[in-house]
Amino acid sequence: MSRLEAKKPSLFTSEPLTTVSQPLSLLIAILKSCYGPAGRLKQLHNGVGGYVCLTSQSSAILGRLSVSHPVLKVLTASVQNHASRFSDCGLFTAILCCSLIESFKNLNIASCTVIKVSKHLLSLCTDYLKSEACACRVSVDFSNLETLLCLVRSILISKPACMLNKTEVDYLTVLIVKAFMFTVPCHPEAKPVLGKCITVPVKGRRVLDSAVIPGLLIEAPEIQFAKLFSVKRTCSDTVKVAVFCVSMSGDLFDPEEGTVTVHHRVSLEMSELDQLLNVGKQLVNDEVGLVVCQKVIHPSLKQYLKDNHVVAVDRAGLSVMEPLSQVTGSKPIASIYSLSPSCYGSLKEVCAKSFASKHFVHLIPNDTVVCSLILCNRNETTWDELKRVCETAEHVLQLTLKEPLALLGGGCTETHLASYLRQKICCLSTSSFKDVDCSQTQYQLIADAFCRSLESVACSLSHDDGEILTDTVYGHCWLVPSGFPSVSNWSDLLLKCGCGINSSTKDLSWRHLRPFFGSSPIESCPKQPSVKVADFMTLDCFAAKYNGLQVAVETANLILDLSCIIEDQN
Amino acid sequence: MVLLYETVNLVFFVMCSLEYYEDGTVSLCSVPRCCALAMAFRAVNSRRHIGLQQLSSLAWAGRTLLGPVKSCKFVVDESTNESMLICSAVRLMESLDLTSAAGQLLNETIQAQNKEFKTGMSTLLFLVGAWSNAVLECLQQNVPVSAIVSVMSEGLDSCCEKVQCLQISVHDVNKELCSSSVRPRTSESNISQIPCDSSLNHQIFLYFQKGISASEELVPRNSCFPQEADCKFYKGLVWPLASFGSVASLVRSVDDKSTSVISGSDVSASICKQKILTHSRYFSTVAKSPVSSHLRDSQVHLSEQSAYTCECYGLGHLAMALSHGNEPSVKLLRSIVAYQHERAECSGSSQFSIAEIATCCLPGLPESYSCVCPGFITLVSPEQATVTKYFQDRSLWILLMDGDLTEQYRHLGFTKPRNVKTVLEYPSLQEGGSRDSWLSNALDILVRLEVNLVLVKGTVCENLMERCIANNILVISCVTQNVLSAFGEVTGAQPVTYLAQLNAACLGSGVWVELWKGCDERAMELGQLVPVRIKVQRIPLLTAVLTTTVASKMQLIEDQFWTFVYRLHHALKDGKVFLGGGAVEFLCLSHSQMLAEQSSKLTDKNAVKEFHSPQLAASASEYRAVVLQALATGWNQYLSMVICNTAKAASEFEAHTLIDHHLQKAADCGSPSAYVLKEFRRGDMFRGGSIPFTDSEEGVKVYDNVTAKMEAWRRALDLVLLVLQTDAEIIIGPRRSQLLNSHSSSEFMFL
Repeated sequence: MSRLEAKKPSLFTSEPLTTVSQPLSLLIAILKSCYGPAGRLKQLHNGVGGYVCLTSQSSAILGRLSVSHPVLKVLTASVQNHASRFSDCGLFTAILCCSLIESFKNLNIASCTVIKVSKHLLSLCTDYLKSEACACRVSVDFSNLETLLCLVRSILISKPACMLNKTEVDYLTVLIVKAFMFTVPCHPEAKPVLGKCITVPVKGRRVLDSAVIPGLLIEAPEIQFAKLFSVKRTCSDTVKVAVFCVSMSGDLFDPEEGTVTVHHRVSLEMSELDQLLNVGKQLVNDEVGLVVCQKVIHPSLKQYLKDNHVVAVDRAGLSVMEPLSQVTGSKPIASIYSLSPSCYGSLKEVCAKSFASKHFVHLIPNDTVVCSLILCNRNETTWDELKRVCETAEHVLQLTLKEPLALLGGGCTETHLASYLRQKICCLSTSSFKDVDCSQTQYQLIADAFCRSLESVACSLSHDDGEILTDTVYGHCWLVPSGFPSVSNWSDLLLKCGCGINSSTKDLSWRHLRPFFGSSPIESCPKQPSVKVADFMTLDCFAAKYNGLQVAVETANLILDLSCIIEDQN
Repeated sequence: MVLLYETVNLVFFVMCSLEYYEDGTVSLCSVPRCCALAMAFRAVNSRRHIGLQQLSSLAWAGRTLLGPVKSCKFVVDESTNESMLICSAVRLMESLDLTSAAGQLLNETIQAQNKEFKTGMSTLLFLVGAWSNAVLECLQQNVPVSAIVSVMSEGLDSCCEKVQCLQISVHDVNKELCSSSVRPRTSESNISQIPCDSSLNHQIFLYFQKGISASEELVPRNSCFPQEADCKFYKGLVWPLASFGSVASLVRSVDDKSTSVISGSDVSASICKQKILTHSRYFSTVAKSPVSSHLRDSQVHLSEQSAYTCECYGLGHLAMALSHGNEPSVKLLRSIVAYQHERAECSGSSQFSIAEIATCCLPGLPESYSCVCPGFITLVSPEQATVTKYFQDRSLWILLMDGDLTEQYRHLGFTKPRNVKTVLEYPSLQEGGSRDSWLSNALDILVRLEVNLVLVKGTVCENLMERCIANNILVISCVTQNVLSAFGEVTGAQPVTYLAQLNAACLGSGVWVELWKGCDERAMELGQLVPVRIKVQRIPLLTAVLTTTVASKMQLIEDQFWTFVYRLHHALKDGKVFLGGGAVEFLCLSHSQMLAEQSSKLTDKNAVKEFHSPQLAASASEYRAVVLQALATGWNQYLSMVICNTAKAASEFEAHTLIDHHLQKAADCGSPSAYVLKEFRRGDMFRGGSIPFTDSEEGVKVYDNVTAKMEAWRRALDLVLLVLQTDAEIIIGPRRSQLLNSHSSSEFMFL
């Protein structure tokens, strides 16, 4: 018996920002505590002994976190969207956005004014970052690996849950850059598409056992029992490959609803198997040497193929399908009823490879832009974190290839931008205030809140209550380890700024970022440090940070603009 | 499951579990001790980190499992009243309540070590506890987390580098061990005076019979020289083994039949803890008695006769040195090595292959029945045993199946069709036709192809099993993959998933089955089951038959056997071994203490600059000494716990004194590594000052795995540092709404 339930009326909430303070400060605390190489980790689990995810990555946390406040839902959704497009700078975006909302909310200035001014400030920032004069960015020279290595190293170091020591970071950095290089086509004129790097998981091993192999590795546990591995070749000395993306396990199509009635002498299973064996026969006739199936191959078909010296690999998984067709030039076959010879691809060589305790089939194409990164880490939790980090690094390298720029990391870009803005608004003409319909005081207040939000991101890098400073010449960020009394001669204590480009010099003067003591406006535009790219610099992806900045400001503006929420409660 | 510890343990566990429920804010919907609760966050996190406390209390449960002399734990399952003896960290983890996040991570870490190495888990568990406590101490002293993390991990890296000088290549170890066993002992001039004849051995044998208690003196004394005695004996393989070492085998070699009188379990039961120690890699006490010297002489004499060239195939001595007191398994492993060596000479395959070893547990037989047999030994029902008898002395056809042998079984990835209705047009005379048709069909296939023996990876349909027995077909279920492939390799059989796939080409031939006979040449029955042996000419597979009269010890014996097998495997894989007996840990201790002292002296900024992350350089130098001292505390506790477990020191205090004594001597010596090497050569590190050494006799050299050990350290430290860096638990999933409504919701914060 079905029961009819009356629909609940929708819930109307006005002024949603008034109730968001407490959950917002909680979220901001979670995010800030995760930030940077010294960030604290979060254990995400179901509370009843399930898998524990140990991470400090925004994508992993926000993806699992269930947020109930609608305002926070908007916020997390836009951060996640940014993370899915750029992989990097998720925490930066989230923290900046939260800080902006918090500080703008406390200003008591009409939200439309705040939005206008912050948009103006954002455009000042983006214009500066895009301009040649920008002193917080470095150009990436692809003929020199050093910058690329710095970029990757910064990403690896920023996630402590990977549990890498210095040697391991260096080793993996080189490996990731190497893997990336394999995916860049040698003749981009012919096919200007980046290849792919497939991560092959080997959990339980040392990180230093990781390796990069050109070509594609597909796990095939049964290979170890095959005594001699040989593959049938065509007359042109290549290996013909058939790739199936449909299940060949011999199970029936699922009729979804309704029933199929069959005579008791008829076996659907048998007829399905006959069909599979027909496919097998055709494959053998067509001189196919290797059959790869995304799903399962029926044991009888496997046996048939084996007897006819065709190598069959099943359960390849979805992730290798795209690179597989890239490598072999084959089209994945989606039906076992129609088999067109044009779908076959070819390979230069197929061989068996074993690594750690796993066994693989190694597909070697003629001209490869696909490689396999065998990624090891000691246990599952740290491996999962490392995998996310490596994917981020690969993505960042791709983004950098498109836009060969990098921003100074370690909080320096944030403090530098803040110094730049502070200096810039001092010399703004009165007409520009009129453009945004506000008084100079209002503009100053909003700009100050904006700058402090930027600086609070840099401040989040310090987790042990150490002091954090910025210098007045370069506008870089300097972290003081905790446990030191406040002294006047910081220059003695500080060795390098956050990004590592500046070494402490005596003639710098300092300003505290935390606790914040009002700022005297800086006379001149922050300078570009004279030293060029150093060996161990912290760099951030330009595209990701640039976009993150925009997303943060725009999302904050959007949230400030919310006047009511209507929730459908059904 | 309820764990029964020895009393002390029990008390502690109750204590610490109270402690951790007391501040039991374990589950939180989000940041528990974070900025939102700034003050509370401080109090909990920096002084008493709950995760670290949990780790430390869990690890404490496993402290008696450390070292060569372990105290077993008796685990009782309340629901079934079944009990089991456990002696390894992995089994302990299986019986502990690990629902907390830290517990989960600990379990995951130990499982990962187990999966990779099968050894080093107790070390890992203990160090997790020791370093958790040490890190908590650091937090008490307000050392910032980042400093603890960086200094601790760099300290361990430095230790790992330092102990590389204590690595010896397997080749060198073999050369040394083998040569020392061949070399005649010039110090003993009385060799020729003692005739080595059967009458002497008979006397010794009588001595054994008279009083086992008297043999307490004998056993350890003698077992200090096992490598001398029986290299030769095991060439011929398959010797019934006694648990107490080479004396028994020596006796048996002369008077073969009568040895069964000396039951292995009796002897081992009567050896008190102190005596077992002598087998240990840590502390060999050499007791003096006139009988023992006689014994030794006769042994030396024997070995002179038989072992001018060492015939341990390069591995026997190494196995001994890696046995860590697991005496019964040494014999088994030596047989395995001898057999595999013989095969390797013929086929040129690798010298020690772990995939070609299977075990068969026979609870109820005395431990002296343990042995190694080529082929596959397994337990079958009496009905199957009848079939086995029928097959005696006949060459059989074998079928291998890599799934279940049931009607319902389908290969992995096959989804059963729903919504399919089968209709019968004519009412069949037979009821339930389809099932019977599968059965008779299956049987038809087997009979038609004249299959005699079926090895099935999974389970077997009972009805089919009965029909097969009636048709004289032997079906054995639950056979592991490596056994299947060993038979496949040697008989030419191809594993199939369904009987329908079967054709004559898939079958293998040349298989023999027989009832397994123990050393007394009698077939036996254990409860309802009968051991049978399946063999093929030239099969590489060996089955180690493990026996014990104490059923709850079975699992333990099997675990220990495999641990040992893997230790040898990893030693060969690494190609090098560590000096054992605590030498490595001692050097780590002395090295980290030295680093701590250095850094407390260091104020020079330039020297600090060399340190890894420059921003933290200054702070690190300040806290370095404290943190490095904490690292050293871990090593110190490890060593003293091993010393206590082996009853080498009466109390922890005494153990610390002993360690301090050595530390002092090492420091005086100038180079701690040289000191450790020297002490190891002399063989008396940590043997205590109570027993004076009068002769310069070399004791059993003890070695250890390199990679497994260092990985265990690293994993332990990684876990502690991961938990240390955690500041919040976030509960996700359906528990959220439960928590929201529960009375403890005030402990949580909700987003």
